[in-house]
Amino acid sequence: MSALVSDVGTRTAVAAANLVKVYGKGDTAVRALDGVSVEFAAGRFTAIMGPSGSGKSTLMHCLAGLDNVDGGSVNIGGTEITSLGDKELTRLRRDRVGFVFQAFNLLPTLTAEANILLGLELAGRKPDREWFDTIVDVLGLRDRLKHKPTELSGGQQQRVACARALVARPDVVFADEPTGNLDSRSGAEVLDFLRMSVRKLGQTVIMVTHDPVAASYADRVVLMADGHLAGEIDNPTADSVLSALKHLGA
Amino acid sequence: MLRTIIAGLKARTARLVLSSVAIALGVAFVTGTLVLGDAMTASLRDEFAKGARNVDVSVTVSGESSSPDEIPGITPETLAKIRQAPGVAAADPRDFQTVPLVAANGKAKSAWAVPLASNEKLNEFDLVDGRYPTKDDEIAVDKRTASTSKLTIGQPVVLLGEGDQRHTYTLVGTYQQGTNQVSLSGYDHVGLTAAAFQALEPERPPYQVVATAAAGFTQQQVVDNVRKAIGDSGFKIQSGEELTRETLERVEQQSGEFTTVLLAFAIIALVVAAMVIYNTFTILVAQRTRELALMRCVGASRAQVFRGVLAEALVMGLAASVIGLFGGIGVSALLQRVIFSFGEGGGTVLLPVTATTVAASFAVGTLVTVLAAVLPARKATRVAPVAALRSQPDSGEEVSRTSVVRVLTAVLFGVIGVGGIVFGMGIEDEDAAMFVSGAGTMALLAAVLVLGPLLVGPVNRVLGALPRAVLGVPAKLASANAGRNPKRTAATTAALMIGVTIVSLVTVVANSAKETANAEIDQRMPADYTVTSAVYGRPLPKELAEQLADVPEVDRVAPTTVVYGEREYFTGVPRDAIGTLFRPTVTSGSLDDLGDGTVAVNAQYAKRQGVAVGQVVTVKPGQGQAQELKVVAIVEGQRLSDGIMTMETSSRFPQAAEGYESILVKLKDGVANGRAAVEKVTDPSPLAVVDSAAETKEQLNQQLNQVLGFIWALIGLAVVIALFGIANTLTLSVLERTRESALLRALGLTKGQLRLMLVVESVLMALMGAAIGLLLGIGFGWVITEALSNDTISVDLVVPFGQIGVMLAGAVVAAILAAALPARRAARTSVVAGMAEA
Repeated sequence: MSALVSDVGTRTAVAAANLVKVYGKGDTAVRALDGVSVEFAAGRFTAIMGPSGSGKSTLMHCLAGLDNVDGGSVNIGGTEITSLGDKELTRLRRDRVGFVFQAFNLLPTLTAEANILLGLELAGRKPDREWFDTIVDVLGLRDRLKHKPTELSGGQQQRVACARALVARPDVVFADEPTGNLDSRSGAEVLDFLRMSVRKLGQTVIMVTHDPVAASYADRVVLMADGHLAGEIDNPTADSVLSALKHLGA
Repeated sequence: MLRTIIAGLKARTARLVLSSVAIALGVAFVTGTLVLGDAMTASLRDEFAKGARNVDVSVTVSGESSSPDEIPGITPETLAKIRQAPGVAAADPRDFQTVPLVAANGKAKSAWAVPLASNEKLNEFDLVDGRYPTKDDEIAVDKRTASTSKLTIGQPVVLLGEGDQRHTYTLVGTYQQGTNQVSLSGYDHVGLTAAAFQALEPERPPYQVVATAAAGFTQQQVVDNVRKAIGDSGFKIQSGEELTRETLERVEQQSGEFTTVLLAFAIIALVVAAMVIYNTFTILVAQRTRELALMRCVGASRAQVFRGVLAEALVMGLAASVIGLFGGIGVSALLQRVIFSFGEGGGTVLLPVTATTVAASFAVGTLVTVLAAVLPARKATRVAPVAALRSQPDSGEEVSRTSVVRVLTAVLFGVIGVGGIVFGMGIEDEDAAMFVSGAGTMALLAAVLVLGPLLVGPVNRVLGALPRAVLGVPAKLASANAGRNPKRTAATTAALMIGVTIVSLVTVVANSAKETANAEIDQRMPADYTVTSAVYGRPLPKELAEQLADVPEVDRVAPTTVVYGEREYFTGVPRDAIGTLFRPTVTSGSLDDLGDGTVAVNAQYAKRQGVAVGQVVTVKPGQGQAQELKVVAIVEGQRLSDGIMTMETSSRFPQAAEGYESILVKLKDGVANGRAAVEKVTDPSPLAVVDSAAETKEQLNQQLNQVLGFIWALIGLAVVIALFGIANTLTLSVLERTRESALLRALGLTKGQLRLMLVVESVLMALMGAAIGLLLGIGFGWVITEALSNDTISVDLVVPFGQIGVMLAGAVVAAILAAALPARRAARTSVVAGMAEA
């Protein structure tokens, strides 16, 4: 297993230092991120957890270059991204970052296959057919490729989104509550796949979730509260995460 | 990217088709206009080609004649010289004059008479039936004349020559003259032999002679020979080729003017269509915020998003252009049919589609669409990738703040507009005044358009008050919805506003003009009946006045004559009619002094000529001696003649001595059936036509209404496009608010109330456009009528409330129709599905 991936846990895929993000101005200003420094190792599956309003989603947006920051720096695969312009950020998203969202992952007008290949097509890159086939087969999407998103179940839609995130072999995949809209069985399938993509395919996955069960699939959990890091758990279980969360809430 | 665009187009076909209908209509208009223009050019070209066929030399009278009494023309001697010139195979005069043709009911109508060529090669018409006249008592008429005047071959045809002499001919054939101004004018058309034509007015020589060359001579040789034979002075000698070129230039210029007028309407339609497209794309972009954001997340660059939206517009524009092109050809065929139906004989529908037309329709259709999509596309590039993660698209950001640029632009347009209007009103010349003031009003319209988003709030509050009070919650929600995005509402209603502004402007001006004209008729026709001549330039016989005066039902009669000077014309009336049947308003001097050798001039004429009471004006008629007349009074009246004089004074002028221009007839009080009594006298006279003020008004009103109807139809297209825009906006809003609608339904709004909400919103938007449009249109109408008014003519503002009511009712009905489909769609979505849709 580890023959495939030699630098598991040694190389840093994504790093943030002193991240500050403020929403609003004056009296209504909210420091969603208040000096967060965190590192994510390559080839690991990390979950970011925290209660609502803890800043976990904001952290992910800033890490992925989707939102600009008010202070600090973010580094993806050796590239400092906070100073990048729109063009470079676009290229970064195309080539080095994959996304899986809670909902509305797919363009309703495109087939599953076209959705998977959209990023590559935008970049003008030829898909690696072998890699594409591997992902499609692993995700069990072979007979769903010609379907439109509306013809797919929620779980299938999320799997298509995973396939799209992985097909460009990004440095990191960001998943934002990927199971939030799914029943527990479909959710488990998606999480299984994300974990497998890390273990077998050597991917780096950072997932935001508020579900302790989902978090238990990760190698490591980073806890957030009120815009600060509030601890982390290695090799989490649902129970250990739950109790950590309870502790946070108290 | 291409795949995404194609898939997007496929998925949004219905929505895009709806919007492209607007562009297609605009393109259809442009195409239709161009095709119609080309068709007219082609048919005129055919016609003139007929006129120039086989003509190798044309001799036309040019310079002034040597003595004033001699009418310039080609004398028989000159014709003979042309015929004898070496190389001339045949030469025939070309001429025309209007001659009264006595129709089956014994009444005369104006007809064009032409001499037919003796040489068949030089004939400009195509024989339909029978043969051409060979003897001087034979006549041929054009096909349409035969049908309108109910003439059949073998029947006698009567023309009135000089001095109302009846000339009777036998009809021997009919011919086809094709489409040209004469055939469109509705005048009858008759052909005679050259000698018979000459006999109608013996002293008037023809103005043109055309000749065909004998075999072996070139055009140039014959031209030179003719020039040698008749000399150069006083004649324009052209080769057949030159003649063709010259006439074709004239043809194109004429049909070009017509096309320009129609194109102006096409441009209005396109501007409106562009606004609808702009709006559609703005909404499409707003609605697809998450989709675009997702694309950006996946790696689409700004340029790709921009190009994607524009490519969509391009495809839509192309599709709309194709539809519009074919639609326009249909429109043109339809318009030609309508034009033909004005006259009877009909004509051939020509549909010449030139490369220019095709290029123009595609350029207009795609360019307008793409340009209209540029701003929305730019907006699309500003969608932040992070927007993909928000559960609800952020529609709040679009709500406009009062931008300084907007206000400044509006102020700029406003200043230009007001300046133009004020300046235009000061101009004396009516055409220039109307043009400048008209431009000013359009600048004001632009100012209002720019200010649109700021106006939506207050107007919506006012208009929404009634439905809010009457219809309860759904109306409250509708009013709030109509006002929630002022920019979008303004853009949606702007299209309708433009249409309604122009329609009401035209309607107000036309109705004001109508009322003014009616008032003028009342003033000009104080009598019960006015007997006039059916044929221009043919005065009524003097006996007629005496005969009319002898009719027992008649109280009094007043004949009038007309005296034409070089730049003026005066009316001659009997002295005793002044103050009874003639009651002009006197501003200075006194009509009591009006006697032999004096004149009372119209105020406008006095101003123009700078004369005052006591001064002398010199009137130089076309024929006869100039007369010096002393001004004794200045009178005022709507567009009367330039002045009045007594009958005795007018008889100093030969043309007025010939007969009467009109005879005013006043009946005794309480006489029934006076018209029959008058007609008993006038019927035997072919020239005399009896008019009453009421009938003349009705005739005039009918004509004005026809013109108005035509303009309503033309602008109606823009209004239809605008309503498509409303339907469009509503459909898109419904889609956008699926979740909101579901929430309302969950909270207890019935399906009916949901539908009602959308209908009210639609009606509110339509009324907003219509109300602002009406206010502007009526205001602009006032500006134009004021600009048209000057010292002597005052056009009063008349607001046709009936027609405006029809317009408003139409807007409401159309708005309800526009809301029908979106409302159905909104009501059909199930509550659960709607809530689930993120």
